[in-house]
Amino acid sequence: MDPVLVKSALIAVAVLGCIGLLFGIGLALAAQKFSVKANPKVEEVLEVLAGAQ
Amino acid sequence: MKKVQRQRVLLGWILLVGLFLFAGCDSEHRFVKRTAFKGANQIVITFAGPVDEPWAKKMDHYAVYEKQDPDILLSLAGVTLSQDKTTVTLTFQETLNQEQPHVLSVKEIQSQGKPQGTALLTVKKAYLGYLLSVLLGAMIIKNFVFTKYLGLCVFFGTSQKKSTAVGMGVTFTLVMVASAMMSWFMYQFVLKPFRLDFLQIVVFIGLVSLSVQAVDTILRKVNPALFKAFGVYLVLVIANCIILAVPLILANNEYNALESLMLAVGAGGGFLVALFLMSSVRERLEVANVPPTYRGLPIAFITAGLFALAFMGFSGMSIF
Repeated sequence: MDPVLVKSALIAVAVLGCIGLLFGIGLALAAQKFSVKANPKVEEVLEVLAGAQ
Repeated sequence: MKKVQRQRVLLGWILLVGLFLFAGCDSEHRFVKRTAFKGANQIVITFAGPVDEPWAKKMDHYAVYEKQDPDILLSLAGVTLSQDKTTVTLTFQETLNQEQPHVLSVKEIQSQGKPQGTALLTVKKAYLGYLLSVLLGAMIIKNFVFTKYLGLCVFFGTSQKKSTAVGMGVTFTLVMVASAMMSWFMYQFVLKPFRLDFLQIVVFIGLVSLSVQAVDTILRKVNPALFKAFGVYLVLVIANCIILAVPLILANNEYNALESLMLAVGAGGGFLVALFLMSSVRERLEVANVPPTYRGLPIAFITAGLFALAFMGFSGMSIF
Protein backbone atom coordinates (compact mmCIF):
# COMPACT_ATOMS: atom_id res chain seq x y z
CA MET A 1 0.00 0.00 0.00
CA ASP A 2 0.98 3.57 -0.54
CA PRO A 3 2.82 4.74 2.58
CA VAL A 4 1.33 8.24 2.28
CA LEU A 5 -2.18 6.82 2.49
CA VAL A 6 -1.24 4.60 5.41
CA LYS A 7 0.25 7.57 7.19
CA SER A 8 -2.84 9.74 6.71
CA ALA A 9 -5.06 6.88 7.84
CA LEU A 10 -2.96 6.41 10.96
CA ILE A 11 -3.10 10.15 11.69
CA ALA A 12 -6.87 10.04 11.33
CA VAL A 13 -7.15 7.09 13.71
CA ALA A 14 -4.85 8.75 16.23
CA VAL A 15 -6.55 12.14 16.16
CA LEU A 16 -10.08 10.80 16.28
CA GLY A 17 -9.09 8.35 18.99
CA CYS A 18 -7.66 11.17 21.09
CA ILE A 19 -10.76 13.32 20.57
CA GLY A 20 -13.04 10.45 21.47
CA LEU A 21 -11.02 9.55 24.55
CA LEU A 22 -10.89 13.17 25.70
CA PHE A 23 -14.62 13.71 25.34
CA GLY A 24 -15.36 10.33 26.87
CA ILE A 25 -13.34 11.21 29.95
CA GLY A 26 -14.99 14.64 30.03
CA LEU A 27 -18.47 13.13 29.93
CA ALA A 28 -17.57 10.56 32.58
CA LEU A 29 -16.25 13.28 34.90
CA ALA A 30 -19.33 15.42 34.27
CA ALA A 31 -21.58 12.48 34.98
CA GLN A 32 -19.75 11.89 38.25
CA LYS A 33 -19.76 15.53 39.29
CA PHE A 34 -23.40 16.10 38.41
CA SER A 35 -24.60 12.69 39.55
CA VAL A 36 -28.16 12.52 40.84
CA LYS A 37 -29.07 9.92 43.42
CA ALA A 38 -31.93 7.86 42.07
CA ASN A 39 -34.35 6.48 44.60
CA PRO A 40 -33.98 2.66 44.48
CA LYS A 41 -37.59 2.28 45.59
CA VAL A 42 -38.81 3.74 42.29
CA GLU A 43 -37.26 0.82 40.45
CA GLU A 44 -38.74 -1.72 42.89
CA VAL A 45 -42.21 -0.26 42.63
CA LEU A 46 -42.00 -0.22 38.84
CA GLU A 47 -40.92 -3.87 38.94
CA VAL A 48 -44.02 -4.87 40.92
CA LEU A 49 -46.45 -2.94 38.71
CA ALA A 50 -48.02 -4.56 35.67
CA GLY A 51 -45.89 -2.65 33.19
CA ALA A 52 -48.50 -1.99 30.51
CA GLN A 53 -48.30 1.79 30.10
CA MET B 1 -24.79 28.80 44.53
CA LYS B 2 -21.89 30.37 46.41
CA LYS B 3 -20.69 33.78 45.34
CA VAL B 4 -17.15 32.69 44.49
CA GLN B 5 -18.44 29.81 42.42
CA ARG B 6 -20.78 32.08 40.50
CA GLN B 7 -17.96 34.49 39.80
CA ARG B 8 -15.84 31.65 38.50
CA VAL B 9 -18.60 30.48 36.18
CA LEU B 10 -19.04 34.04 34.91
CA LEU B 11 -15.31 34.40 34.33
CA GLY B 12 -15.30 31.15 32.40
CA TRP B 13 -18.09 32.37 30.14
CA ILE B 14 -16.37 35.68 29.50
CA LEU B 15 -13.16 33.86 28.60
CA LEU B 16 -15.01 31.54 26.24
CA VAL B 17 -16.85 34.37 24.49
CA GLY B 18 -13.62 36.38 24.33
CA LEU B 19 -11.84 33.46 22.71
CA PHE B 20 -14.47 33.24 20.01
CA LEU B 21 -14.47 36.98 19.43
CA PHE B 22 -10.71 36.96 19.21
CA ALA B 23 -10.74 34.12 16.73
CA GLY B 24 -13.43 35.80 14.70
CA CYS B 25 -11.97 39.28 14.43
CA ASP B 26 -8.30 38.78 13.81
CA SER B 27 -6.66 41.08 11.27
CA GLU B 28 -5.98 39.33 8.00
CA HIS B 29 -2.69 40.97 7.13
CA ARG B 30 -0.48 43.30 9.14
CA PHE B 31 -0.08 45.82 6.33
CA VAL B 32 -3.75 46.00 5.27
CA LYS B 33 -6.05 48.10 7.42
CA ARG B 34 -9.41 47.42 5.83
CA THR B 35 -11.18 46.44 2.66
CA ALA B 36 -14.67 47.45 1.57
CA PHE B 37 -17.06 47.53 -1.35
CA LYS B 38 -17.66 50.91 -2.92
CA GLY B 39 -20.39 51.67 -5.42
CA ALA B 40 -21.62 48.86 -7.66
CA ASN B 41 -18.31 47.64 -9.05
CA GLN B 42 -15.46 48.88 -6.89
CA ILE B 43 -13.39 47.55 -4.01
CA VAL B 44 -11.31 49.87 -1.83
CA ILE B 45 -8.19 48.63 -0.03
CA THR B 46 -6.70 50.80 2.69
CA PHE B 47 -3.07 50.06 3.56
CA ALA B 48 -1.32 50.88 6.81
CA GLY B 49 1.33 52.90 4.97
CA PRO B 50 2.11 54.31 1.53
CA VAL B 51 2.61 51.73 -1.23
CA ASP B 52 4.81 52.09 -4.31
CA GLU B 53 3.05 53.44 -7.35
CA PRO B 54 4.54 51.14 -10.03
CA TRP B 55 3.61 48.14 -7.93
CA ALA B 56 0.10 49.37 -7.19
CA LYS B 57 -0.71 50.21 -10.80
CA LYS B 58 0.02 46.72 -12.08
CA MET B 59 -3.20 44.74 -12.37
CA ASP B 60 -1.48 41.36 -12.21
CA HIS B 61 -0.92 41.92 -8.50
CA TYR B 62 -4.63 41.67 -7.72
CA ALA B 63 -6.87 38.64 -8.02
CA VAL B 64 -10.47 38.67 -6.87
CA TYR B 65 -13.04 35.91 -6.78
CA GLU B 66 -16.26 35.12 -4.97
CA LYS B 67 -15.60 32.94 -1.96
CA GLN B 68 -17.89 30.22 -3.32
CA ASP B 69 -16.26 29.95 -6.75
CA PRO B 70 -12.48 30.18 -6.48
CA ASP B 71 -12.16 29.13 -10.14
CA ILE B 72 -13.87 32.19 -11.58
CA LEU B 73 -11.59 35.22 -11.34
CA LEU B 74 -13.34 38.56 -11.75
CA SER B 75 -11.90 40.75 -14.48
CA LEU B 76 -10.42 44.08 -13.46
CA ALA B 77 -11.08 47.24 -15.46
CA GLY B 78 -8.71 49.59 -13.67
CA VAL B 79 -6.67 50.45 -10.60
CA THR B 80 -6.40 53.92 -9.08
CA LEU B 81 -4.11 55.03 -6.28
CA SER B 82 -5.08 57.89 -3.97
CA GLN B 83 -2.91 60.98 -3.45
CA ASP B 84 -1.39 59.86 -0.17
CA LYS B 85 -0.73 56.43 -1.72
CA THR B 86 -2.43 54.47 1.07
CA THR B 87 -5.72 53.70 -0.67
CA VAL B 88 -6.11 51.58 -3.78
CA THR B 89 -9.43 51.46 -5.62
CA LEU B 90 -10.07 48.49 -7.87
CA THR B 91 -12.70 48.91 -10.57
CA PHE B 92 -14.28 45.84 -12.13
CA GLN B 93 -15.85 45.35 -15.51
CA GLU B 94 -19.00 43.84 -14.10
CA THR B 95 -21.22 44.65 -11.13
CA LEU B 96 -20.14 42.83 -7.97
CA ASN B 97 -22.56 40.60 -6.12
CA GLN B 98 -22.09 42.17 -2.72
CA GLU B 99 -24.19 39.55 -0.95
CA GLN B 100 -21.28 37.15 -1.39
CA PRO B 101 -18.05 37.63 0.51
CA HIS B 102 -15.21 38.08 -1.99
CA VAL B 103 -11.66 36.87 -1.61
CA LEU B 104 -9.01 39.35 -2.70
CA SER B 105 -5.39 38.34 -3.03
CA VAL B 106 -2.81 41.10 -3.18
CA LYS B 107 0.60 39.82 -4.29
CA GLU B 108 3.99 40.98 -3.04
CA ILE B 109 2.98 44.32 -1.59
CA GLN B 110 5.76 46.90 -2.03
CA SER B 111 5.94 49.78 0.42
CA GLN B 112 8.74 52.34 0.00
CA GLY B 113 10.93 49.72 -1.61
CA LYS B 114 10.35 47.16 1.12
CA PRO B 115 8.41 43.93 0.43
CA GLN B 116 5.43 43.34 2.72
CA GLY B 117 4.43 39.88 1.58
CA THR B 118 1.26 38.62 -0.04
CA ALA B 119 -2.14 39.23 1.55
CA LEU B 120 -5.22 37.05 1.20
CA LEU B 121 -8.17 39.21 2.24
CA THR B 122 -11.89 38.76 2.56
CA VAL B 123 -14.11 41.61 1.41
CA LYS B 124 -17.54 41.75 3.00
CA LYS B 125 -20.34 44.18 3.42
CA ALA B 126 -20.59 46.13 6.68
CA TYR B 127 -20.00 43.40 9.19
CA LEU B 128 -22.93 43.79 11.58
CA GLY B 129 -25.34 43.94 8.67
CA TYR B 130 -23.74 40.82 7.22
CA LEU B 131 -24.08 38.99 10.54
CA LEU B 132 -27.71 40.03 10.81
CA SER B 133 -28.38 38.85 7.28
CA VAL B 134 -26.86 35.44 8.14
CA LEU B 135 -29.13 35.28 11.19
CA LEU B 136 -32.33 36.31 9.42
CA GLY B 137 -31.42 34.25 6.37
CA ALA B 138 -31.17 31.07 8.42
CA MET B 139 -34.25 31.96 10.43
CA ILE B 140 -36.77 33.08 7.83
CA ILE B 141 -35.57 33.44 4.25
CA LYS B 142 -33.90 30.04 4.11
CA ASN B 143 -35.86 28.49 6.94
CA PHE B 144 -34.55 24.96 7.40
CA VAL B 145 -37.96 23.36 7.80
CA PHE B 146 -39.97 25.18 5.16
CA THR B 147 -37.45 25.74 2.41
CA LYS B 148 -34.92 22.94 2.92
CA TYR B 149 -37.38 20.35 4.32
CA LEU B 150 -34.99 19.24 7.04
CA GLY B 151 -35.89 17.97 10.49
CA LEU B 152 -39.41 17.00 9.47
CA CYS B 153 -39.78 13.95 11.73
CA VAL B 154 -39.30 15.96 14.91
CA PHE B 155 -41.26 18.82 13.37
CA PHE B 156 -44.39 16.71 12.90
CA GLY B 157 -43.83 14.77 16.09
CA THR B 158 -43.76 17.71 18.47
CA SER B 159 -46.02 20.28 16.85
CA GLN B 160 -49.34 19.00 18.19
CA LYS B 161 -49.43 21.25 21.25
CA LYS B 162 -48.14 24.77 21.62
CA SER B 163 -46.40 24.10 24.95
CA THR B 164 -44.59 21.04 23.57
CA ALA B 165 -43.59 22.96 20.46
CA VAL B 166 -42.08 25.83 22.40
CA GLY B 167 -40.28 23.44 24.76
CA MET B 168 -38.81 21.55 21.86
CA GLY B 169 -37.83 24.74 20.06
CA VAL B 170 -36.01 26.20 23.05
CA THR B 171 -34.18 22.97 23.88
CA PHE B 172 -33.27 22.60 20.25
CA THR B 173 -31.83 26.12 20.01
CA LEU B 174 -29.70 25.57 23.13
CA VAL B 175 -28.25 22.28 21.93
CA MET B 176 -27.83 23.67 18.44
CA VAL B 177 -25.72 26.60 19.60
CA ALA B 178 -23.57 24.39 21.82
CA SER B 179 -22.94 21.74 19.20
CA ALA B 180 -22.45 24.19 16.31
CA MET B 181 -19.82 26.16 18.20
CA MET B 182 -18.02 22.95 19.19
CA SER B 183 -18.16 21.72 15.61
CA TRP B 184 -16.80 25.01 14.34
CA PHE B 185 -13.93 24.83 16.81
CA MET B 186 -13.20 21.20 15.95
CA TYR B 187 -13.34 21.85 12.23
CA GLN B 188 -11.13 24.93 12.26
CA PHE B 189 -8.52 23.81 14.78
CA VAL B 190 -8.43 20.02 14.54
CA LEU B 191 -9.91 18.71 11.31
CA LYS B 192 -8.50 21.31 8.94
CA PRO B 193 -4.92 21.39 10.26
CA PHE B 194 -4.75 17.58 10.12
CA ARG B 195 -6.49 17.49 6.72
CA LEU B 196 -9.25 15.27 8.05
CA ASP B 197 -12.10 17.26 6.47
CA PHE B 198 -13.38 14.10 4.83
CA LEU B 199 -14.31 12.78 8.27
CA GLN B 200 -16.41 15.81 9.14
CA ILE B 201 -19.76 14.00 9.14
CA VAL B 202 -18.54 11.34 11.56
CA VAL B 203 -17.01 13.90 13.88
CA PHE B 204 -20.06 16.16 13.80
CA ILE B 205 -22.41 13.30 14.63
CA GLY B 206 -20.22 12.50 17.62
CA LEU B 207 -20.18 16.12 18.72
CA VAL B 208 -23.96 16.40 18.50
CA SER B 209 -24.45 13.34 20.67
CA LEU B 210 -21.80 14.62 23.03
CA SER B 211 -23.50 17.97 23.50
CA VAL B 212 -26.90 16.35 23.93
CA GLN B 213 -25.50 13.99 26.54
CA ALA B 214 -23.66 16.81 28.32
CA VAL B 215 -26.73 19.07 28.42
CA ASP B 216 -28.77 16.10 29.69
CA THR B 217 -26.32 15.31 32.48
CA ILE B 218 -25.78 18.88 33.61
CA LEU B 219 -29.41 20.01 33.37
CA ARG B 220 -30.57 17.01 35.40
CA LYS B 221 -28.50 18.19 38.34
CA VAL B 222 -28.45 21.97 37.99
CA ASN B 223 -32.08 22.63 37.17
CA PRO B 224 -34.35 19.59 37.74
CA ALA B 225 -37.50 21.60 37.03
CA LEU B 226 -36.25 22.60 33.60
CA PHE B 227 -35.05 19.05 33.01
CA LYS B 228 -38.53 17.71 33.73
CA ALA B 229 -39.99 20.11 31.21
CA PHE B 230 -37.39 19.72 28.46
CA GLY B 231 -35.70 16.36 29.17
CA VAL B 232 -38.02 14.42 26.90
CA TYR B 233 -37.10 16.47 23.85
CA LEU B 234 -33.37 16.24 24.41
CA VAL B 235 -33.24 12.71 23.06
CA LEU B 236 -35.26 13.76 20.04
CA VAL B 237 -32.71 16.42 19.19
CA ILE B 238 -30.10 13.76 18.34
CA ALA B 239 -32.39 12.41 15.63
CA ASN B 240 -32.78 15.81 13.99
CA CYS B 241 -31.07 16.57 10.71
CA ILE B 242 -30.97 20.36 11.09
CA ILE B 243 -28.55 19.96 13.94
CA LEU B 244 -26.20 18.07 11.62
CA ALA B 245 -26.84 20.32 8.62
CA VAL B 246 -25.67 23.47 10.41
CA PRO B 247 -22.11 22.24 11.18
CA LEU B 248 -21.80 20.97 7.63
CA ILE B 249 -22.93 24.31 6.19
CA LEU B 250 -20.57 26.31 8.35
CA ALA B 251 -17.70 24.00 7.51
CA ASN B 252 -18.35 24.21 3.77
CA ASN B 253 -18.69 27.99 3.77
CA GLU B 254 -15.66 28.51 6.04
CA TYR B 255 -17.70 30.69 8.39
CA ASN B 256 -15.85 32.33 11.25
CA ALA B 257 -16.94 32.10 14.89
CA LEU B 258 -19.44 34.95 14.90
CA GLU B 259 -21.02 33.91 11.62
CA SER B 260 -21.31 30.34 12.90
CA LEU B 261 -22.96 31.56 16.07
CA MET B 262 -25.45 33.60 14.04
CA LEU B 263 -26.19 30.66 11.76
CA ALA B 264 -26.76 28.37 14.75
CA VAL B 265 -29.02 30.86 16.55
CA GLY B 266 -30.87 31.53 13.30
CA ALA B 267 -31.39 27.85 12.56
CA GLY B 268 -32.62 27.22 16.10
CA GLY B 269 -34.85 30.28 16.07
CA GLY B 270 -36.19 29.32 12.66
CA PHE B 271 -37.09 25.87 13.94
CA LEU B 272 -38.78 27.46 16.95
CA VAL B 273 -40.77 29.79 14.69
CA ALA B 274 -41.76 26.91 12.42
CA LEU B 275 -42.86 24.74 15.35
CA PHE B 276 -44.80 27.58 16.93
CA LEU B 277 -46.65 28.46 13.72
CA MET B 278 -47.40 24.83 12.97
CA SER B 279 -48.62 24.04 16.48
CA SER B 280 -50.93 27.08 16.48
CA VAL B 281 -52.57 25.81 13.32
CA ARG B 282 -52.73 22.22 14.48
CA GLU B 283 -54.39 23.19 17.76
CA ARG B 284 -57.16 24.78 15.74
CA LEU B 285 -57.36 21.86 13.36
CA GLU B 286 -58.25 19.67 16.34
CA VAL B 287 -61.63 21.36 16.57
CA ALA B 288 -62.14 21.91 12.85
CA ASN B 289 -64.38 19.70 10.78
CA VAL B 290 -61.77 17.85 8.73
CA PRO B 291 -62.87 15.09 6.32
CA PRO B 292 -62.12 11.72 7.90
CA THR B 293 -59.51 10.74 5.29
CA TYR B 294 -57.42 13.77 6.11
CA ARG B 295 -57.69 13.71 9.89
CA GLY B 296 -54.41 13.73 11.80
CA LEU B 297 -51.13 13.61 9.95
CA PRO B 298 -52.36 14.09 6.33
CA ILE B 299 -53.88 17.49 7.02
CA ALA B 300 -50.70 18.39 8.92
CA PHE B 301 -48.67 17.60 5.81
CA ILE B 302 -50.96 19.80 3.74
CA THR B 303 -50.63 22.61 6.28
CA ALA B 304 -46.85 22.31 6.19
CA GLY B 305 -46.98 22.52 2.41
CA LEU B 306 -49.04 25.70 2.59
CA PHE B 307 -46.55 27.15 5.06
CA ALA B 308 -43.72 26.27 2.70
CA LEU B 309 -45.55 28.07 -0.10
CA ALA B 310 -45.98 31.11 2.11
CA PHE B 311 -42.31 31.04 3.08
CA MET B 312 -41.41 30.93 -0.60
CA GLY B 313 -42.49 34.55 -0.67
CA PHE B 314 -39.36 35.40 1.28
CA SER B 315 -37.04 33.67 -1.16
CA GLY B 316 -34.45 35.83 -2.85
CA MET B 317 -35.04 38.63 -0.39
CA SER B 318 -31.96 40.44 0.83
CA ILE B 319 -31.67 42.49 3.96
CA PHE B 320 -28.94 45.12 4.32
